[in-house]
Parts: sequence; structure tokens; C-alpha cells
Amino acid sequence: MKFIRKIAHLLVPRESNNQKAKLLHSSSLTLITFAFIFYQLAISLIPSLGSRVLGYAANISPEEVIRLTNEKRINDGLLPLEENSTLSQAAQAKGADMLVKGYWAHVAPDGTQPWQFFTNFGYKYRYAGENLAKDFSNPQSTVDAWMASPSHRENLLSPKYKEIGVAVVEGNLAGIDTTIIVQFFGTKYVDTMPVAPIAKAKELPVNTPISKIEEQLAIITAPSQSKRLVSPFNATKNISLLIAGLLLIILVIDGVIVSKRNIVRIGGRSLAHFAFLGMIVIITLLLKAGQII
Amino acid sequence: MRGFTKHLAHYLTLFGIFLVGILAFIFFSYDQSFQIITAIAVALSYVVWGIVHHLIHRDLYLAVVIEYLAVASLGLVIIFSLILRS
Repeated sequence: MKFIRKIAHLLVPRESNNQKAKLLHSSSLTLITFAFIFYQLAISLIPSLGSRVLGYAANISPEEVIRLTNEKRINDGLLPLEENSTLSQAAQAKGADMLVKGYWAHVAPDGTQPWQFFTNFGYKYRYAGENLAKDFSNPQSTVDAWMASPSHRENLLSPKYKEIGVAVVEGNLAGIDTTIIVQFFGTKYVDTMPVAPIAKAKELPVNTPISKIEEQLAIITAPSQSKRLVSPFNATKNISLLIAGLLLIILVIDGVIVSKRNIVRIGGRSLAHFAFLGMIVIITLLLKAGQII
Repeated sequence: MRGFTKHLAHYLTLFGIFLVGILAFIFFSYDQSFQIITAIAVALSYVVWGIVHHLIHRDLYLAVVIEYLAVASLGLVIIFSLILRS
């Protein structure tokens, strides 16, 4: 009986909670907010404790990424790109470089430009481009995300490019097992003279020896152990939906009881809170794991 | 419900703000910075809406402002966490 009273105190407006469900009080909402922040800190601390349980499971093949890219180009009335093994090797080296040096960017912390990987593998380009993605679970969502971003879409649908190389590298980035997709676009210098040069692309001297890159490739492409990973994004999403969903239910109960009993009280509008948390739920459902740069 | 019909213009404004927020997340799904700015703007608008609404209704108290701030903070923390982990 005491337990039921406690639950009612938390969820239903009554005398003990000043005619407002205790979980809707500002103090309880603040407590929930701090508990959520603590939960996020705990997730972030897991990798530093040496545990390898966090990660993003993916099933992505470079061939599928190329196929989907060419599908988009054909739909846009463009010629499909030809797969170039040199570009694929260069993309693989770029992915390996990110995992070895622990960065997620177009330019490495030591200043290495993406174009250097092209030249390191002997690909003399007139035009070059790079799209990066990580933490996606499938190739379709990756290509869709690139297509949604104007700058990445420009690379995908550029008539200046003739060849493509894609690498999917798996490894540990900042303590989290992840899958990085590197998409390199290029047009060889010897190919037909296109309209205008792309500003970003420029010839760079070859600094990194190929042997070093091959060594890195050997580290990264080692067969990954099949293990069950907990996605930090999904762990956050599920808890978010649970909290917001619970508060929405309490707000409905609260609104109905207050309206029926004609309770007059000082406080915010339940309908406004309901709409705000409803928007939070919709945005939570809209957000998907995966980053592109 | 009586409050809703009585202050229809107020609530329609609020729902409009939330709709813009949702649409911004749909159309700018690739831009995390824009999403963060949108989330802050919507949360702030919600708090301001609460203050103005209660001011007009002549029942604005510090406890009411704190309540709106508490709900907005929880929403912001949830959205920030998801954006930064996506």
C-alpha cells in the first residue's frame, strides 16, 4: 500500500505532491537532467577504462557504395564512375591513417592533405575529391546522408570526376569500434581536359613512403573479431525516448485529472510542456547514427 | 482544453515554433552545428513563450519560469547528447 502511495505521489496529482505529479516538479526535472548528464559521462568514460564494448556494427561493402553512387549519377543524367584500384588503395591508406593517428578529418593533425594519398599511390590527378563517413550501419544510409549535404552531393554528382575508389576500414577511433568509409573521386591528369580545376585539389610532393602505408594497412585490415557491440548512440536514444515518453504519459494523466477536478495551481501549462516534449521525441526518432564530413 | 481554445493564437504560435524546429532537423540533417543552433533557438523560444503567455494571463511567478527552464534544459540535454553521439 505504501509502495502504491509512493508511485501515485510520483505520477498523479494529489495532496501529498501539491496537486502536481512529483516527477513534473522542477526539482525532479532538474534531477532527471543531471542523471542523464551523468549517464552520458559514464558512456564517455567506458573507453578510458579499457573496455571494448562500445561501437557501431556495420555491414558495408565498397562495391555497394560505388554501385549506389553510380545509381545516383545515372539518375542525374551523368556517366557512372569507373572503379580504380589505385584510388581504392589510396582510400584504404587514408582510412588506415585516420585510425592509426586517431583523427576524424579531411586533413591529418600533422597537416597531411587527402590529396597526398592520391599521389603516394602514383595517381596523378587533374581533379580530386574526398567524402568521409563513419558510424553508419549500411551503405544506403551513408549515400543518402552524402546526398543530403550540398558539398558532398557536389562531389558525388560532379561531371568532372571519371573514377572512384572506396575503402571501408574498421577499427578503434577514440575508444569506440567504428567503421569509416573513405570515398575518393578522381580524374587522371592525362585524361581529357575538363572545364575548370577544382580549387581544393592540388599537386603535392610525395612524402610518405608506400611501404609505411602498406604497414598501416596490415594493421587495420586484420580480420575483426565478431562481438556484440553497444552503440553509444542507440544507448542514448533509447534512454531519451524512455524519459520523454514517461513524462508525456504523466503529463496526459496530470492534464486529465487537473481538468476533471478543476484544480487551480501555480505552474506551467501542461499542454505546452507536452508539445515541447513531443517535439523532442519526434527529433529523437529522426536523428540517426552516422557522421559525414 | 478550455485554456487551449481560449488562447488558441498563443498555442498555434508555440506549435508553429516546434514545427519549424522539426523541419529544420529534417532538412539540415547533415549539419550538426545548425541542428545545435536550432535546438537552442527552439528551447529559448519555448521559455520566452511561457513567460509572455503567463504574463498576459497574469500568473507569472518565479516558480513558473523555473519550470519552463527545467523542461527546456532536459530537452536540450537530450538533443545535444544525441547530436554529439550521432
